[in-house]
Amino acid sequence: MADPIAHPVGPARPAPAPARAGRREASERRLSLLLLWPVLGVIFAVAAYPFALAVRQSLSAQTGEFVGLDNYARALQNPLLYDALEATGVYALLVLPTEIGLGLGLALLVHRMIRSTAVKAVIFVLAVVPLVVPPVAVGVIARLFYAPGYGVINQVLMRVGVIDHEIGFLSNPVLAMLSVASVDVWQWTAFVYLVLFAGLQTVPRETTEAARVDGAGGWALFRHIEFHYLRPLFVLILFFRMADVLRVFDHVFILTGGGPGSSTLLLSLYLYRIEFKFFDDGQAAALAVTVLVVVSVLYSLVIRVLPVEKG
Amino acid sequence: MSVPGSSFSRRLAAIAITVGALVLAGCGGDSTDTSTSKPSKITIAAVQGNEDAALKAIAPLYQQQKGIQIEIVEFPYDQLFEKLVTTFQANAASYDLVMMDDPWMPKFGTGGWLTPLDSTFGFQRDPDIPSIVYDVGTWPPPHGAVPPAAKGQEAHLLGITIVGNVEMFMYRKDLSDAPGSWDDVLANAKKFNKGNMAGYVVRGKATNPVVADFLPILWSFGGDVFDDNWNPVIDSAESLRAVEFLVKDLKSVAEQGAENVDAADRSRLMAIGQAYQSTVWPGEITEIVENESVSKVGGKVGYTPIPSGPSGKGFGMMGNWLLGIPKASKNGQAAADFIKWLTSPEVQRQYVAKGGIPSRLSLLNDPALNEQNPYFAALAKSLEAGPNWRPRTDQWNAVETILGTNLNAALAGQVTAQEAVQKSAAQIKDTMSQAGYYG
Repeated sequence: MADPIAHPVGPARPAPAPARAGRREASERRLSLLLLWPVLGVIFAVAAYPFALAVRQSLSAQTGEFVGLDNYARALQNPLLYDALEATGVYALLVLPTEIGLGLGLALLVHRMIRSTAVKAVIFVLAVVPLVVPPVAVGVIARLFYAPGYGVINQVLMRVGVIDHEIGFLSNPVLAMLSVASVDVWQWTAFVYLVLFAGLQTVPRETTEAARVDGAGGWALFRHIEFHYLRPLFVLILFFRMADVLRVFDHVFILTGGGPGSSTLLLSLYLYRIEFKFFDDGQAAALAVTVLVVVSVLYSLVIRVLPVEKG
Repeated sequence: MSVPGSSFSRRLAAIAITVGALVLAGCGGDSTDTSTSKPSKITIAAVQGNEDAALKAIAPLYQQQKGIQIEIVEFPYDQLFEKLVTTFQANAASYDLVMMDDPWMPKFGTGGWLTPLDSTFGFQRDPDIPSIVYDVGTWPPPHGAVPPAAKGQEAHLLGITIVGNVEMFMYRKDLSDAPGSWDDVLANAKKFNKGNMAGYVVRGKATNPVVADFLPILWSFGGDVFDDNWNPVIDSAESLRAVEFLVKDLKSVAEQGAENVDAADRSRLMAIGQAYQSTVWPGEITEIVENESVSKVGGKVGYTPIPSGPSGKGFGMMGNWLLGIPKASKNGQAAADFIKWLTSPEVQRQYVAKGGIPSRLSLLNDPALNEQNPYFAALAKSLEAGPNWRPRTDQWNAVETILGTNLNAALAGQVTAQEAVQKSAAQIKDTMSQAGYYG
């Protein structure tokens, strides 16, 4: 039998009867809708339903009684929330520019200086390693470096005579924040490198060669050519990394538990504390819903404000 | 070759139906009710660490003797608590037995999630075991302040201790005599705090660790967290003096980075000879301090009950680990049989040989066992002296988090001792108020 899709029209073929074609079309539409249901069901089950439950919980007391916006008011009145927001902001300001700067530098270095494919492959493998190490393991390893008493860094510095007393990497509020941020930088700079390095491969060689012939230096090459190809990727990196900063938990929990005091109590640790230490379901749900809404609004603003596509 | 649309649709539909049928078949599971027959296996949710090491070691013996496999599912401390609460809230029959830290009992008791062991399975108090050990497994608590929601309820035994932890004190007996008071502790700390040796190890990490280190000091100074009506008294003069003693006096003779030191760091410092004294849990002794394969100070460390303070008394702190049976378990009787087997005098002797920490006075005072376990006598004395327990409130986790965060901030010099107790009192009051403790 001839294929009606491969030959939709043709003078040599008689047109199918309109009633038969209509029935087939309706049948296929019904099947399409039928097959769509499982997908919609999964989306509903993993996203919409939990969110609806969170909203309901955020409006309820522990007993299930409706309390309006009380939980939101309590969440916003809790002074620890602002400590957590401040800590998260400081953490983001430390890790995002550092990771983007280092990742970009490394990507440009490898792109421009390394010619050997084998060496590039080795660097690729090395860059992937931090990304596949479980965050818990990263935290445990980092603790071996920073821990009081047996931390490798202090021991090495003391053995070579640079210091005679331990540095309180995890006990001094400022150093504790720098220490937890350094672990993030170690793990995620590689991600920035990989994305930007891939982006640099899309820059047409003839364009950069022409620019070089015209006398463009390294900075001009980056500023006027490569940056325009990388710009959408910077937005992508910012998206992913901002989301990660809001979710970061494991290594901070292992290294400092949010301390000293609440100096490294990031938003995720604070939410965990409200839900699993205080078992205040209503306040935790109110916080989660608020964070979700604020982040969604911020992200949509970022999309509108940042020029994702060149021109 | 082209595929006719109708045939393609039929194939897709057939695949969808087949996949659906397979998924449904997979979801069906085994619906056999094992409540009336001997199960082949009972599952225990346990804490990962030295606390469940002896349990894991002795479990195969039960399978040999009774033919029932003991499956132990381990979780880190924090995750175990969260896992149990969420499992209980879902009324899931995932575990037949659960290991519980004794401060969790108020939460679990208030939730009504555990099967009473006395009225359901006939458990009775054994005179060889101090009554405080049974009291921590009883809800509502037989003495002390009772949360409003539990007032008037009939008390039941909900958990049986399998790790008889009581917080004690350790010091280098090769260097000095045992300290009798916290003044002695400070004097010795000043004397030995030189070179690589810390005069005292403060377990100062935020939340649970620093609170566990602090509460024996607080009580010995005559302070407390609550009065009998659940009003916070952590800002009283006695309590403030105890906080100052920790964050000023002891910290001045403590190890570097005390704000981030937990139990494992403390016992490691002791084991490598870089610490003179500290509080200690029995599990740290067997696992590290007296473990010849990792310790340089085996046989050189003495163990005593917590020294006395200005109140004239010293208070150890209960830190028992108990076994309880979730109401949702389908193997309640088998689980109860296992507890009875494990806590019997004969099996407890084998349990001790595998590193277990008993509560039986006959074992703790046994001279032969004291040779092998140099802390047993101190543990027996601590138990007989009637150690305190952490306040029996279902809000304890929140209270501990508040107090532990503020104490840690005071240790780090971010706030003064006065600010730490004032902030703690205000936040604890707010938490208790929201939980309905003041009517």
